[in-house]
Amino acid sequence: MTFNLRLIPLLPFLGAAILMLFGRKWKRDTVLIVAAGAIAGSCLVAFDAFFTALPRAAAGGGLHDVVGTWIAAGSLKVDLAFRMDALSGLLCLIITFIGFLIHLYSSGYMEHDPDYPRFFAYLNLFCGSMLVLVLGDSLPVMFIGWEGVGLCSYLLIGFWYTSNANADAGKKAFITNRIGDLGFLIGMFLLYQYTGSLNIPEITAAAQGGGALMQPLWGATVAFWAALFLFVGATGKSAQLPLYVWLPDAMAGPTPVSALIHAATMVTAGVYMVARMHAVYLLTPGAMAIVAIVGALTALFAAIIGFAQNDFKKVLAYSTISQLGFMFAGVGTGNFDAGVFHLFTHAFFKAGLFLCAGSVMHAMGGSGDITIMGGLRKKVPWTHGVFFVCWLAICGVPFFSGFFSKDSIIGGAFGTEIFDAAINPLAGEHLAWVGKAVGVVLMLAALGTAFYMSRLYFLVFSGSETRASDEIKHHIHESPGAMVGPLVVLAIGAALGGFIGLPGGLLDHPEWNLLADRLRPVLGPEMEISRAMEIGFMVGSVVLALGGIGLAYLFYGGGYREPARKFAAAAPRFVQLVRDKFRIDELYGFLIIRPVKAIAKGIFFVVDRILIDGFLVGGLAWVVDLVGSIARWLQGGDVQRYMAVFAIGVAAIAYLATQPMHTFFSNALKVTVNGLTVDVDAHRGSIAANRVLDYSFDFDDDGKPEVTGVASGAHHVYPQPGTYTVRVKVKDPSWGTSSTLTQKVEVR
Amino acid sequence: MSAGGATTVDMVVFGVLATLTTFFALFTITRRNPVTAVMSLVATFFCLAGIYASLSAHFLAVIQVLVYAGAIMVLFIFVIMILNREEVAPFSLRPLRVLGVLAGVYLLVKIIDVVTVGLPEAVPGAAPDGFGTVAAIGDVLFRDFLYPFESISVLLLVAIVGGVVVSRSHQKEVAAVEAHDYRHQIEELAHHDYPGEPPAPAAPEGYH
Amino acid sequence: MPTTYYLVLSFVLFLIGTAGVLLRRNALIALMGIELQLNGGNLAMLAFSRELGDLKGHVFAFIIIALAAAEAAVGLAILVALFRGRQTVNLDEATLMKR
Repeated sequence: MTFNLRLIPLLPFLGAAILMLFGRKWKRDTVLIVAAGAIAGSCLVAFDAFFTALPRAAAGGGLHDVVGTWIAAGSLKVDLAFRMDALSGLLCLIITFIGFLIHLYSSGYMEHDPDYPRFFAYLNLFCGSMLVLVLGDSLPVMFIGWEGVGLCSYLLIGFWYTSNANADAGKKAFITNRIGDLGFLIGMFLLYQYTGSLNIPEITAAAQGGGALMQPLWGATVAFWAALFLFVGATGKSAQLPLYVWLPDAMAGPTPVSALIHAATMVTAGVYMVARMHAVYLLTPGAMAIVAIVGALTALFAAIIGFAQNDFKKVLAYSTISQLGFMFAGVGTGNFDAGVFHLFTHAFFKAGLFLCAGSVMHAMGGSGDITIMGGLRKKVPWTHGVFFVCWLAICGVPFFSGFFSKDSIIGGAFGTEIFDAAINPLAGEHLAWVGKAVGVVLMLAALGTAFYMSRLYFLVFSGSETRASDEIKHHIHESPGAMVGPLVVLAIGAALGGFIGLPGGLLDHPEWNLLADRLRPVLGPEMEISRAMEIGFMVGSVVLALGGIGLAYLFYGGGYREPARKFAAAAPRFVQLVRDKFRIDELYGFLIIRPVKAIAKGIFFVVDRILIDGFLVGGLAWVVDLVGSIARWLQGGDVQRYMAVFAIGVAAIAYLATQPMHTFFSNALKVTVNGLTVDVDAHRGSIAANRVLDYSFDFDDDGKPEVTGVASGAHHVYPQPGTYTVRVKVKDPSWGTSSTLTQKVEVR
Repeated sequence: MSAGGATTVDMVVFGVLATLTTFFALFTITRRNPVTAVMSLVATFFCLAGIYASLSAHFLAVIQVLVYAGAIMVLFIFVIMILNREEVAPFSLRPLRVLGVLAGVYLLVKIIDVVTVGLPEAVPGAAPDGFGTVAAIGDVLFRDFLYPFESISVLLLVAIVGGVVVSRSHQKEVAAVEAHDYRHQIEELAHHDYPGEPPAPAAPEGYH
Repeated sequence: MPTTYYLVLSFVLFLIGTAGVLLRRNALIALMGIELQLNGGNLAMLAFSRELGDLKGHVFAFIIIALAAAEAAVGLAILVALFRGRQTVNLDEATLMKR
């Protein structure tokens, strides 16, 4: 079934193009109408497409739209084609819907920014790229979007490019993403090499067949390496260990950007990609274990860093990294629908949290320092309400969205059979521990999540007084309706979003899990866990969530409390280490950036300074200079010099003209030997043809010429065989010049 | 007619005239004072006129005296009077130029070589009747060389116009340049702290 | 007189003229050197004309004298202009084109 899927990304692209071309001269309202209109139109088309696609997707199909052939080279044929099934459809809805809300919010947040049109152009461009990413039917098309969002992320992070820090953050995001992109590309090449196709459905089909991708390669299987390299790409895009470093810095961009890119959409691209390529991952439990472990460790690691951050957006950034870790742990344990489910719920509550951050910072005069906040509950009531809901959702308090999704991930980790060699023949014996270990780490991370989010909440909203200066305090106000409206919608999503993924198995109504039900044709059957286990994990995670909140209340309820100070005083170095994000940036600087810089410096010196500057540029200039100086010497405007050169030239001609002739002609006589008879011809060619010359032929080189005269040829008969030297003297009587030609002849 | 066909008188006359010609020519290019040089040149041309006459080129001999020794030299004298300036070093003996002269000397040797080897030493036969007279030359000039002759008049006209254009004075341009220099000087003065400031003490030796 | 003598003399004149043009700094003397060169040429013309009994050589000499007159007029005018602009007729100093 074809559908105009191309409209979904095309509308935002058009909006971006129009805004970039004409937006500068338009009123803000017009800009907003174009930008929000484009994304709203895209959202409507996406909804239409989604509900058209769902019934077909249930049968394993979906919507397909081929725009045209993009690459046709030999056996490689890549169409610019889009496909929508339940998975990409869900992502499309998230992107367009939350994107639309963020557009609205931005209209308030960016109200006073002089670069209003540029901002919306980038936002539209970003949404378009992201839609290409999720809708792309083949890996190259996906890669367009993959790179597109990278570019937009760079543009938006460095949006306020006049500040160096912002521009650097943009570059950092871009470069870190490039490292991941290289992995993605290698994965892509591997898949093409072994399946002969870049089309995702064809790769999926090939992977389900198993054969080609199960070939051994570099000590493992093709599938393992392809999956691993694709995951490297995902770690870059989705900010996982070890490539997560760009995301916290990306908070340099405007807050709506943080909400849109670094929470709801772009960073989930990696999770989406792993889910999309799940057929390849399922072939290789080893790679999945790596995905799950990296995800779990990231979740815990980022949560710990989140404990000590004092910047509102930084806390949320590490929270994002941590939640993305949860998603990867979910897909890595084969629990794909849980990963996507968490992606969905996270999109709502994290977008909500970020937008609340923007609203709070708006109120605080642009500062995101939570140490000077506090007691904002009453001053920004709507923002507080939304934050409250999203906080409960992310902590996993029952019946809020995060509760269901996080719970299904943790449950899936413990219940997964992917790594069990007894059940999954592909898994090795040594992988059995992975599921449990990941589950334990995730539970700790969930506890940490509850703690740092509660810390954030308590420090910002609870208490009776704000710790800021009077000037800022005086300024605090609730944000305008354009900002609050989207917040409320997001809060509703955050509160109720979990109900699309109810643990149906637990309630004896598997069809209640709408999400898993719809995703089943794409991602395969959801994970089955025993009811006892499931209830156990639910209770456990509720306890963890409440425990984290309670602990945070002990430390920070109503502001900084005694235990918090005591803890900080008891382990100051550890707190500082955490606050410095475990100094990972510095480690990278030492391990990677410094050597790269040194190499670059060396290359700069050798290639640029010596080769290019020295030889190419300098050398060319030197040659030109040399030629010029010669020409200047010749053509100096000095007539006397010309005349001297002219005289020398004439003299040279006279010299040459009066030289003995052999200077001009080859010193070869034409000798014909016939027995003892020798014929010699000393004719000098056409120049001397009409001149009378005197020849003397001395056949035996005894100084007595045998033949003389004006004839150029001579004839001689030797008395006996042997080797003789023939010497011919040619004289020009009128010029007085002469030359002698000699040649050896052998007669027998 | 002696050996080689030349009479002794011919030989003596040619010898004297050739020697004088060469001598005055050398004198021309070696004198420091341009007036002396010009006078030597005139003498050279007079001698040359005699040699022309010995070649039966009587008309050309007269022309030589009239045009060269008369007109052109007067022109030279006038210009020298305008431009006369003492020369510090009259010769510029740069290697290339000296080499050029040496090349010329080599050429001379070669040419002597060639003309003495290649050409007969005999005196040419008696000249035809009226050879070199005004009538004979006029006949050739206005019959066979009419157009070249008329071209010469154009050439001379152009030369006269060119001479006038090139040598006329450029009062206005010069005035403009001087005004610019003057303004420049005023600006330079304005950059001093106050007018009349004594010049800064000269930098010590070797300081640049 | 044998023509060869005239030819040698003509080249000697030419050579002296060349040396004058090459070695003298004073533009006036250089111009005189050019006149000498032209006269050297003229002498060769006349000598060959006599040798061959052909008056064309005389005509050429005549044309060359006219040319010399024109050359002297323009050359001297240039010298006057040069002197006006730079207060010198030293050829070594007339090097504006060289830079």
